Amino acid sequence: MEQANPLRPDGESKGGVLAHLERLETQVSRSHKQSEELQSVQAQEGALGTKIHKLRRLRDELRAAVRHRRASVKACIANVEPNQTVEINEQEALEEKLENVKAILQAYHFTGLSGKLTSRGVCVCISTAFEGNLLDSYFVDLVIQKPLRIHHHSVPVFIPLEEIAAKYLQTNIQHFLFSLCEYLNAYSGRKYQADRLQSDFAALLTGPLQRNPLCNLLSFTYKLDPGGQSFPFCARLLYKDLTATLPTDVTVTCQGVEVLSTSWEEQRASHETLFCTKPLHQVFASFTRKGEKLDMSLVS
Amino acid sequence: MDETIAEFIKRTILKIPMNELTTILKAWDFLSENQLQTVNFRQRKESVVQHLIHLCEEKHASISDAAQLDIIYMQFHQHQKVWDVFQMSKGPGEDVDLFDMKQFKNSFKKILQRALKNVTVSFRETEENAVWIRIAWGTQYTKPNQYKPTYVVYYSQTPYAFTSSSMLRRNTPLLGQALTIASKHHQIVKMDLRSRYLDSLKAIVFKQYNQTFETHNSTTPLQERSLGLDINMDSRIIHENIVEKERVQRITQETFGDYPQPQLEFAQYKLETKFKSGLNGSILAEREEPLRCLIKFSSPHLLEALKSLAPAGIADAPLSPLLTCIPNKRMNYFKIRDK
Repeated sequence: MEQANPLRPDGESKGGVLAHLERLETQVSRSHKQSEELQSVQAQEGALGTKIHKLRRLRDELRAAVRHRRASVKACIANVEPNQTVEINEQEALEEKLENVKAILQAYHFTGLSGKLTSRGVCVCISTAFEGNLLDSYFVDLVIQKPLRIHHHSVPVFIPLEEIAAKYLQTNIQHFLFSLCEYLNAYSGRKYQADRLQSDFAALLTGPLQRNPLCNLLSFTYKLDPGGQSFPFCARLLYKDLTATLPTDVTVTCQGVEVLSTSWEEQRASHETLFCTKPLHQVFASFTRKGEKLDMSLVS
Repeated sequence: MDETIAEFIKRTILKIPMNELTTILKAWDFLSENQLQTVNFRQRKESVVQHLIHLCEEKHASISDAAQLDIIYMQFHQHQKVWDVFQMSKGPGEDVDLFDMKQFKNSFKKILQRALKNVTVSFRETEENAVWIRIAWGTQYTKPNQYKPTYVVYYSQTPYAFTSSSMLRRNTPLLGQALTIASKHHQIVKMDLRSRYLDSLKAIVFKQYNQTFETHNSTTPLQERSLGLDINMDSRIIHENIVEKERVQRITQETFGDYPQPQLEFAQYKLETKFKSGLNGSILAEREEPLRCLIKFSSPHLLEALKSLAPAGIADAPLSPLLTCIPNKRMNYFKIRDK
């Protein structure tokens, strides 16, 4: 604190004193403010602290209530007998068995032929596959009555379901299911081949793939070296056996050429054989591999 | 470009609502992107149409291009027509159906052209294995009338075709013949099924309206179904006839299932039965001839309406099998005679 300077005249020393007083005043108000702020912060802290305590208490109470409930439920099940723990273990063992059985029933799906009992009969699920790829599933809901009948199904319209049912459903249901499996798996396989050709080997096709719903007539033109000088081949694949995934008749012709040179004729004939013996997309895969080999030979 | 073609395209485009115009033009794929970009679609419709006709003239649109536009319009506005269903059959022991779309189209067109000389036939394939066929009919001496075409939707490798009910009934036998021969069938018969909703007809005819199947992989518990009852869960309220309500609910669920019903607008019953009455000696009961009577049920969604009759208390459950057999028998026109 400054002392009033006695050497200064009155006015000036007043200014000095007043200024001093003013300074003291601002100091006091500042310290008031600070202490107020401090107080409010402390108050908030206190409030939050009590809130935390409250919530902790509530949490502990709820935890205790849950524990109590669980124990009482278990006690109810065990009927408050001396060997309660044994009963609880049996219960858990049964639950585990049930989960196991449920999982096995779900996994049956992968065998290709599975089913589930319904209130009126059974719902059979045929899961089709081709070359290890799981494809679409189809359902047939059967009503177990005399006569056995199909309630509803998801088999496509062009699969001869009514014919197969007329032949086998009443006399030999196993034969009915296996026959239907054959048709559906073959259809799925043919469809898979056609889809793969369209998606993976579009570069080798010189025009759109012509197909029908059953995928039993495929017609396309292709070139072994797209953009190259060779003539395109026209292939027409007929699958007269609806239970097969390989064609029964194959015709390969060379577009725009009347008479082929011997090398082209050999190639044409070999292609015909290939289409008859190997799945469509595999044949085209071998074409691309051959193409790559040719490229490599050019490089070296 | 012929004036008649221009007029036809103009009238077709005028029918299209503005909000669908760009989608339909893109699907048509006749005018190029560049050309379409030059059109100001915010103008008044007449100006837009004029501009589009001008562009079509630049590209020399033919009648087949115009027919494609008409098919696309009809695909977007299927409900404007009433559709009939035809079922074809083959002889016993036929070869496997190796359906060839090119062969079918050629054969179909040839048969109609040989018979009528003047006929416009157009095809448009869809992704669901269906082909839309548009036929504008003429005669030996008159040009085809483009404004009254017949549309056929044929699902290849199935025996079914759906046709728009045409006013020109005299061409129906020829159409049937063309379809049958081109698709390598022997006979064609009209089913007693008719509706505006092509999708629902397809679902009924192909028996695809119920696609819910029980499997071990599904996680929906069976109890969820019964909650449709919408009964107050308050235990202080006792419903006196809850047993009856549950019985009705169960029967309705067994008859109609849990799936959405296909959409039909009406069911028609032609009765030719003798009058049956409990009272003896009534005048009508003495009639020897059968009474002729036509009963028609109409609704925006007939099957859903029938499904809600018993739960609403308007009819007893189970409903008459004449009403509940509609999707199963694939009919909504019935002729009932005394046995």
